[in-house]
Amino acid sequence: MRIRGIGIGLIAAGIAVLSAPIAAQAQDTPQPKTLRVAVTGNIATMNPFMAFHLGDTEIGRVMYAFLTSYSRDDFSPAPGLADKWQVSDDKLTWTYHIRSGAKWSDDQPITARDVAWTFNKIMTDKTAATANGNFVANFDTVTATDDSTVVIKTKTPQATMLALDVPIVPEHVWSKVTDIGKYDNLQYPVVGSGPFTLTNFTQGQSITLKANPDYYGDKPAYDQLQFRHYDNADAAVQGLKNGDVDVVSGLTPTQYTALQSTPNITTVKARQGRQNDLLINYQAQTNDHQPVGDANPVLKDPKVRQAIAQSVDVKTLVDKAYGGLAEPGAGFVPAVYEQWHWTPSGTQEQKFDLAAAGKLLDEAGYAKGADGVRADKQGKPINLRLVVDSGIPAQVAAANFIKGWLTQVGLGVTLQALSSDAVTDAGSTGKYDLELNGWTGNPDPDALLSIQTCGVLPDADGNGNTENFMCDPQIDQLYKAQLSEMDKAKRIQDVKDLQARLYSLDSSVVIAYPNSLEAYRSDRWASFGLQPSQGGSITHQNGYYGYLLAKPADAASSGGGSNTTLIVVIVVVVVVLLGGGAFLLSRRRKAGADERE
Amino acid sequence: MTASISWQRRRAAAGRVWAQFSADRSGLTGLAILGVIVLLALLAPLISDSSALDVTKATGGLLKPPGGGFLLGTDENGRSVLQLLLWGSRISLLVGLTATLLSVGVGTVVGVLMAHFGGWVQAVLMRVTDFFLVLPSLVLAAVLSTVLSPGIGSIILAIGATAWPTTARLVRSQTLAVESRPYIERSWALGAGHLHVIGKHVLPAVLPLVFANTTLNVANSIITESTLSFLGVGDPNQPSWGQMLHNALQSGAVTAQAWWYLLPPGVAIGVVVLAFMMCGRALEAVLNPRLRER
Repeated sequence: MRIRGIGIGLIAAGIAVLSAPIAAQAQDTPQPKTLRVAVTGNIATMNPFMAFHLGDTEIGRVMYAFLTSYSRDDFSPAPGLADKWQVSDDKLTWTYHIRSGAKWSDDQPITARDVAWTFNKIMTDKTAATANGNFVANFDTVTATDDSTVVIKTKTPQATMLALDVPIVPEHVWSKVTDIGKYDNLQYPVVGSGPFTLTNFTQGQSITLKANPDYYGDKPAYDQLQFRHYDNADAAVQGLKNGDVDVVSGLTPTQYTALQSTPNITTVKARQGRQNDLLINYQAQTNDHQPVGDANPVLKDPKVRQAIAQSVDVKTLVDKAYGGLAEPGAGFVPAVYEQWHWTPSGTQEQKFDLAAAGKLLDEAGYAKGADGVRADKQGKPINLRLVVDSGIPAQVAAANFIKGWLTQVGLGVTLQALSSDAVTDAGSTGKYDLELNGWTGNPDPDALLSIQTCGVLPDADGNGNTENFMCDPQIDQLYKAQLSEMDKAKRIQDVKDLQARLYSLDSSVVIAYPNSLEAYRSDRWASFGLQPSQGGSITHQNGYYGYLLAKPADAASSGGGSNTTLIVVIVVVVVVLLGGGAFLLSRRRKAGADERE
Repeated sequence: MTASISWQRRRAAAGRVWAQFSADRSGLTGLAILGVIVLLALLAPLISDSSALDVTKATGGLLKPPGGGFLLGTDENGRSVLQLLLWGSRISLLVGLTATLLSVGVGTVVGVLMAHFGGWVQAVLMRVTDFFLVLPSLVLAAVLSTVLSPGIGSIILAIGATAWPTTARLVRSQTLAVESRPYIERSWALGAGHLHVIGKHVLPAVLPLVFANTTLNVANSIITESTLSFLGVGDPNQPSWGQMLHNALQSGAVTAQAWWYLLPPGVAIGVVVLAFMMCGRALEAVLNPRLRER
């Protein structure tokens, strides 16, 4: 009798324990509504002074407000922390009025002093200038004349004053930081001013941010934004299919096509400010002009570089390697920024022509050996290493094509598919001959062009965000000219001239402007704030509208139902098994006891 | 005269081995499968053109299912999967065989030295063997192939460097068993040196076992090569079956459910490994005195 009592007790306990989570869920602590975004790249730092990698800046944008922002419709300058601004007649003094009532996420007011402190820090601390130094290089003084007014004086007129992509940080937190370079900025909740506040960062796993109630602008229609790490795009897509994440970006063309016919998933294709290019390493050097790296010296010959440029068929690359979901490359500034984008004229164009490339190499004295590989001036067969990030499928595919064409003109190529860390290392120390690379530009071309100037050459340790160690007096001069040119038409001409000069040097061959390919769970999310609002993308915007304006689908149609049913079924099965087992046990014991009597 | 007698004996022994081996049906099946695959791999340059691997000359549509002149469909660049499979077999087999030869070679030398000399030689070599034995070999191989300059050579070295300890221990125990036999003692008494004992008596007695072990090891090496390539530390310049699977995963063939791109390399790896296993088991049953039917 007592034993049967225990059996019944077990059943009761089982029901109580197992149904507890359901009861709690069904009653009143609702799960926070979370937008989960898959990230596949490496997220390195949450420190906005050090963050220039794509994934890092993406998160910086939702954590911190900028002085001005870009409109959702067409990237035109829009209010940010500053709600009004004016410029003096000599174009040297900019006065920004900081909006009143804006607060940091720890309830301290956001004042002009925070803005001044941030810019002054970047101007005076070389380490703090790592990510955004280009914006302030031409600044003379930045002062906060009162709590709501910032005055920036520049040495020469500067065209990017309404496109200063610098996260403004709270002075009361950051003034206590002694070593900016080593500060991880992970004191939760991280004090910020953007629409979301960072609450957790677990390297290689996830980044969680919660909606910031103190944000001055629109409030998100949900509670939490979470970035989840996946090792590769296919894992992320499986996560999307299983409902583990809501948004996946950086799809391969194959995945994009496959997901178009998947129920409950909507795909988004957009032009984006990204370019992919083939770097030709011929002048690797440090900022004191010491040569670094181990590039093949044959690349110093402009004819060899031109032959390489002429051996790359950007149209075929777009059709095959990018599955048609890209635009063929030309100038350095991506095609989506139409006014700044440059395409070579007929006489400038280095057209894809393998025969011409071969002829060029013949004339330059690189004769083909018996095996079809050309020899350099010392008689050694030319073999070029092509470094590529093994984690980016379109790049690996493109690399195979480039290898094929170069082999046909008699230049030996060895592919080196490395991890993204190893690619970054090889890039910053000049240990490559050819490398596939990619940059994302802003609506204002200044930041993108700045990586082609002498000023960003790396130090001896490889710190510096140069592209391919470019250092050319003519480019530097054009860069300075466009930065201080306030007449827009003339500035556009400078920017285009710079791209033309870059193109003629064959330092890099722009192969494509890939489309941004994304997909989201349309059963959970109704819409996102695309930028540009027509035909734009969700992630990697010049803004945070994609996340900020995400609208959940109606609660009724959300995927939770089936899950709850599943849990109920499991609970019932477990309880029945437990109960049945206990009942049988009690009967057997009882039988035993009967027999003993 | 003596030479011809010993050759006669050897030929007779080989005949006996073959008779026993051919009685094992699964061993014969494995051998037949291997023969076909090796033949295809060797003849690849004759029955196909290596330009089939050049993406710039690919003619097919992107990731198209079988049909339209492509028996096994096309990959993400429009190349024929069948051609990739054919050319991939060369690298997979080459790496598998070379890496095994390397590991078995090192293992045999170390094993014989350990057992033959004993004492401090054995103590030192045994610790080294144990050290490599306890290291997770896949991780070690992955690290090695990343640290060494990329290429097939590094992969072979990485597999060889991690796979030898088991052979070494096997050879050591067999050598110990052989050296304890009276005829070795007799040989010592007649004034034989180390070289003579090892070369004339120990090695011939140990080699059959090593041979069977090699066949089994090749299967492991092929799997390791495929795994390393699949994980992305292989040589992207050379197609191998693991490399195909890697490319398939990277390009999103799983999402696109392109079974014609995923299945063939997977099945090919499975079949080759199975064939080597079948051969190896049959050989082992014939050559290993412990497994021989009495």
